[in-house]
Amino acid sequence: MTSNSTPLYEVRSVSKNYGNVVALRNVSMSVGAGEIVGLVGDNGAGKSTLVKILSGVYSPDSGELLVEGVPHVWKSPHEAMAAGVETLYQDSGLALDLTIGANVFLGREKVKKGFLGKLGFLDQKAMDQEAADDLERTGIAVHASKRTVGQLSGGQRQAVAIGRAVAWAQKVIILDEPTNHLGARQAGEVLSVMKAAKARGLGVIFISHTLPHVLEVTDRIIVLRLGSVVRNAPTSEFTAESLLGTITGLHVGTE
Amino acid sequence: MSIIVDPVQESSFEKPDRSQLWYRRLLANQQFLLLLVTIAIFVFFAFNRHVFASAGEFGNNVTNFCTLVLLGVGETYVIATGGIDLSVGSTVSLSGVVGAIAMEHLAMHSELLVLSVGTVVCIGIGILVGVVNSALIHYARLVPFVATLVTWGAGAGMCLVLTGGAPIGQNSGAIALTVPKIWIFSYPALIIIAITFVAGLFLHLSRFGRFTFAVGSNAFAARAVGINVKRQVTSVYVLSGALAGITGMFVYMRLGSGAPTAGTGQELIAIAAVVIGGARLTGGSARLSGTVIAAWMITIVSSGLIFMNVSPNYNQVAVALLIATAATAQALRKSARQSS
Amino acid sequence: MNKESLTSGAPTRTRWTGAKAVVAASLAVSSIALVGLGSASVAGASSSKKITIAFVVGAEADPFFISMNAGAQAEATKLHVDLIWQGNPSQYSPSTQIPVVQQVTTQLASAKPSALVLGPTDPKALEPYVKVAVKKHIPVFNVDSQDASLKNITGFVTGNNAQGGQAAADALAGAMGYTAGKTYNVVVGMTSPTATTNVLRYDGFKAEIAKKYPGIKILAEAYSQSSPTTANTNIQNWLTEYSQSSKTPLNGIFAIDGTNAEGAASALQAGGLACSKTVCGSGHVALVGYDAYSSNVSLLSSGVFAALIAQDPYQEGIDSVFNAYTYLKTGKLPKGVSKTTTLPNVTLLPTSNSTFLAKYTYATA
Ligand SMILES: Nc1ncnc2c1ncn2[C@@H]1O[C@H](COP(=O)(O)OP(=O)(O)OP(=O)(O)O)[C@@H](O)[C@H]1O
Ligand SMILES: [Mg+2]
Repeated sequence: MTSNSTPLYEVRSVSKNYGNVVALRNVSMSVGAGEIVGLVGDNGAGKSTLVKILSGVYSPDSGELLVEGVPHVWKSPHEAMAAGVETLYQDSGLALDLTIGANVFLGREKVKKGFLGKLGFLDQKAMDQEAADDLERTGIAVHASKRTVGQLSGGQRQAVAIGRAVAWAQKVIILDEPTNHLGARQAGEVLSVMKAAKARGLGVIFISHTLPHVLEVTDRIIVLRLGSVVRNAPTSEFTAESLLGTITGLHVGTE
Repeated sequence: MSIIVDPVQESSFEKPDRSQLWYRRLLANQQFLLLLVTIAIFVFFAFNRHVFASAGEFGNNVTNFCTLVLLGVGETYVIATGGIDLSVGSTVSLSGVVGAIAMEHLAMHSELLVLSVGTVVCIGIGILVGVVNSALIHYARLVPFVATLVTWGAGAGMCLVLTGGAPIGQNSGAIALTVPKIWIFSYPALIIIAITFVAGLFLHLSRFGRFTFAVGSNAFAARAVGINVKRQVTSVYVLSGALAGITGMFVYMRLGSGAPTAGTGQELIAIAAVVIGGARLTGGSARLSGTVIAAWMITIVSSGLIFMNVSPNYNQVAVALLIATAATAQALRKSARQSS
Repeated sequence: MNKESLTSGAPTRTRWTGAKAVVAASLAVSSIALVGLGSASVAGASSSKKITIAFVVGAEADPFFISMNAGAQAEATKLHVDLIWQGNPSQYSPSTQIPVVQQVTTQLASAKPSALVLGPTDPKALEPYVKVAVKKHIPVFNVDSQDASLKNITGFVTGNNAQGGQAAADALAGAMGYTAGKTYNVVVGMTSPTATTNVLRYDGFKAEIAKKYPGIKILAEAYSQSSPTTANTNIQNWLTEYSQSSKTPLNGIFAIDGTNAEGAASALQAGGLACSKTVCGSGHVALVGYDAYSSNVSLLSSGVFAALIAQDPYQEGIDSVFNAYTYLKTGKLPKGVSKTTTLPNVTLLPTSNSTFLAKYTYATA
């Protein structure tokens, strides 16, 4: 759907049920390189479910996932990460008892050189240093010191999670309500981080209930309602009012 | 690009850490406090009974410490994942009993061979219990408390079935090995202390330890970054079982026989050591040094109370008081941190 | 951000209640299973119109009760009566014993046992159920331990714990080479300060010392709480405190039951203080234990134990069955047998011959 080239990451006709609850029904969407796609919808519309399918936490009941046109089946979130898809989960992907550095490198730890490394001994110093650099590069100044993430404020935690996702993302970055817990100024910074990621050529999927943010930063908006895509159009086609109307379903004549 | 985290807020965070005087930092460290209390307890007993400070009594305490510490180590790993292992006490008994039966059959052979086989059998039984525990957790979907309660009961029952209630075997050679040879340490004690040390390094400095804490802190996050949560949980229960098996062999050596009640009640003392050592029962946070100091503390308290001719019921009360104090200290420090 | 950690924290509460529920459920299931077992075997046994004697003991798997079972079974076979043997496998507790007794007494008339031999796990808790049985014309006998009141009990066979304690004092004095005018230091390893058998044995032990061996000084008691490991620790500590080079060197140990005997024997061996078969003089600590577990009996010959006091559960089983049988046939206890029979405890020595040792060594299943 972006220009003519193959989208970076695409889902086709994905459905997902939780028992009797139909969370997603025949959903198709895609994101291209250097594109920010907004994913909006009311509470319970199925946004986070779609995110978890995109990131490999859940597998869809039916439908296909394609990275650069190649079908993929994620057996674990790790496989999606290895394919270049990074995710910031709405319900925290951080281990609060671990330090900032440990969280940034969680699951991708650096080990010492030589025999100790073979035994799995960690090169904590290198990780702390690199984590601090990574976070700073994305514009986040939290010292990746001995402090655990649980000792940070809600906003600082969110910053670490975003920083981690941005630092590792190679192709696509999915941010599920990243501006939660953030003050107005910090939320603005998250939007800049997204723009920077876009400038790096990443595909960005941005989920938010703050519609002005969505309208400001996205190139295209996908509206989910009760598990179905009800609108998929360039951001320029929406006004604040029409977007709200599409989300709630009270707006006539947009479908 | 500017900075997300407010620099003012940031520096107010750093400040207390940096300007804090060294002794205040030490006092905020639960393991250090524990060490101070342990020393105070020791001094108190030593003043009451001078024999308490003798090398002979240190040797006794090392032996007793060694019957507890590995259970505490295993339990620390398990509790770090947010689980609990109630089965270790019966695993001590069961591995000792099965090991004793195996060694009885080999009685003709050399002492070294017999004891080696016994050790392997004991560890094998421990691993088996660990595998059953994790199977109950993963496949029967039991919470760890219930899963290990099942193996706890089954293990104790098996001991009675296998022994008919009476101890098995009579091995004076094994008993002799538990006598201190190098100052206050017997050879098996040195091995157990070495295992404890290595287990501490792995818990706090290796990827295995990191995964252990990650699983206990936030299993979803761990899974999301590709940590195999099931495998990690299985590993720690197997580790806990294996360490209980080694303890079972050590207790066999102390008694010279495999007794069906050799490890009875040890699981609760091990869990107490972990909690007193500063671990959080809901997982994600534990210090092996804390467990080790607490195990030593419980050991000398028990010995001290024997010397003071105190009824064993007070021994339990004493351990309960230590747990309560440790838990309160933990809660107080936490709320102090949150309000600062 | 906290949703995940909140939900992962919540299960702790459900975990605990879940655990409780399962414990409760499994207890319920196991007691149902026990009751079920009881009904099956009682019903089966009564189909032939033989005399049926129900035997309900504490911990079935204990070698002590296994020996008692062997004696009872031998006598039952001899007299051509059916024996129903019941008890919780491992738990010595009224809460597991009561359902079993209840089941036996609430049988249909056709399946009722002719008599009940009961080793109550608590002197008071079982009394109401005994009353029920008597009301239903099932005579009740006690074995080994007794109900607080023997009013409803037809006969009682038991070992003599006080006499066993005396015998232990005699054996210990002998092993230490007691001579009047000298001082001998002794410690006592017990299970708990309140266990009835412990108290009876210890009272007998102390009475005998007061009477015959004023030179024996009891320095301390220590409690093992049924753990041989703790018993070992206790003795280890006393051996250090009252070391052979101290002003009060330890001369003897009385280990009051099988668990303490095991712990004390290993501690003595580790300390290199065990007597050998021929020598038990200064520099050695004489050990007198209780209960003839085979592993302890094997340490008699090497001299680690100077003596073991053994009960006679096999004979208790024989006498109980014979008393019940005679009472059912004649309405009276056998001639010359009074309501309470106390069987003396026997003293096993390193010099005892092997047939004698084998006779009193507790059986294993
Ligand atoms: N693990 C689950 N088990 C059962 N039902 C679920 C689960 N997760 C989500 N649901 C249900 O699926 C539907 C979609 O939920 P989802 O979390 O995807 O919505 P959302 O659009 O992210 O909402 P929000 O804006 O509140 O985050 C809802 O009806 C929800 O109740
Ligand atoms: Mg959501």
